[in-house]
Amino acid sequence: MNPSSQLTQIPIRIIKEQELIIGPLAWEEASRVSGLVIDQSRNSVSFSGDGKDVIDRLVTQYERIFGKASHAVCHEAVQDIVSQMPPDEVPSSLK
Amino acid sequence: MLNNDSSIVSPEEYKKITEELYKRNLELATLYKQVDSLNKELGVANENLRNVIKQRESLEHLITHKVKGAFTRSKYIFAGILDGTFGEISPEIKKIAKQGLDSDDTGITTVDLILNVANMQKGIVKYDMKTVDLKEIALKIINEKKDSAEEKGIKIESEIGDDTYNVSGDAFWLKEVTNNLIDNSIRYTQKGGITVRLQKHDDKVLITIKDTGIGINEEDKKHLFTEGGRGQGSTRINVDSTGYGLYSVKLIIEAHKGRVWAESLGADKGSTFYVELPAV
Repeated sequence: MNPSSQLTQIPIRIIKEQELIIGPLAWEEASRVSGLVIDQSRNSVSFSGDGKDVIDRLVTQYERIFGKASHAVCHEAVQDIVSQMPPDEVPSSLK
Repeated sequence: MLNNDSSIVSPEEYKKITEELYKRNLELATLYKQVDSLNKELGVANENLRNVIKQRESLEHLITHKVKGAFTRSKYIFAGILDGTFGEISPEIKKIAKQGLDSDDTGITTVDLILNVANMQKGIVKYDMKTVDLKEIALKIINEKKDSAEEKGIKIESEIGDDTYNVSGDAFWLKEVTNNLIDNSIRYTQKGGITVRLQKHDDKVLITIKDTGIGINEEDKKHLFTEGGRGQGSTRINVDSTGYGLYSVKLIIEAHKGRVWAESLGADKGSTFYVELPAV
């Protein structure tokens, strides 16, 4: 899998993990993140702009409302994806 | 922002509450994942169990149609040899044919026992519950077993009063129970005797079968009424022990809302088997 397709997997994984905890609010909050284009019916996302920055904004969006615990949840949810990515491709919030 | 008592909640407090709620939800989500994971494991275990049950049913089918069929066919061949269907036979052949017939009978009895246990476990044995006098059953079995016991030099005595010992039960299966217990006592008693006693206590009827046989050691007691539970003592005396006889007794008695148990002071000190059933 190339780094850009790995990157698009990350937001979906994070949103779904947050959905387990806060329900539909997870999708609502994600839709507020600029540069993140969500197609919930297809479970897919795309970025307008730099993907790494968009993911950082998504993590921050959750953390701003729900605190550090939500950051840890984001981090944990994508561990297996991140571990296979080149370090410079990993969004800073998930390092 | 307002809280329940209509006082204003500061943004800091609101954030604190939201974060606390998130943590609670996270704990619940973690528990949910654990339960989900256990459910999946349970699903796999159930699937494995279903496969084991299918294999067992297939084995029962094989036993019923193939093994029992084979025993039955050879039984009729031996019986034919003995009754002269195939012409005159020498005393030596007659002796061998008799041994073959006895061996087939043992095989058929064993297969029937295992199939009966399987049917009892599946709950498909229908008990024809009627008022049954245990005295009639006990005396009949004692009478049937007297000769084989005397051949071994063992005396069977009965201590049964003139009273009736009525219980609600299926006469066929209660006969199987009594037969099994007395048979066992004869098999595992080398010298001395067997006493069959019937007593009434309050609203119960108690059958006691006491022998002077090999007894039961503490280790064997643990496996006595379990499925396939063959004790060291039993296999020493009876190499053909299936371990299903006493288990079937337990299943039958429990289906009659009674209980069965055994006592022994140890190896070579005899055994006493008790069956207690509700009196009617």
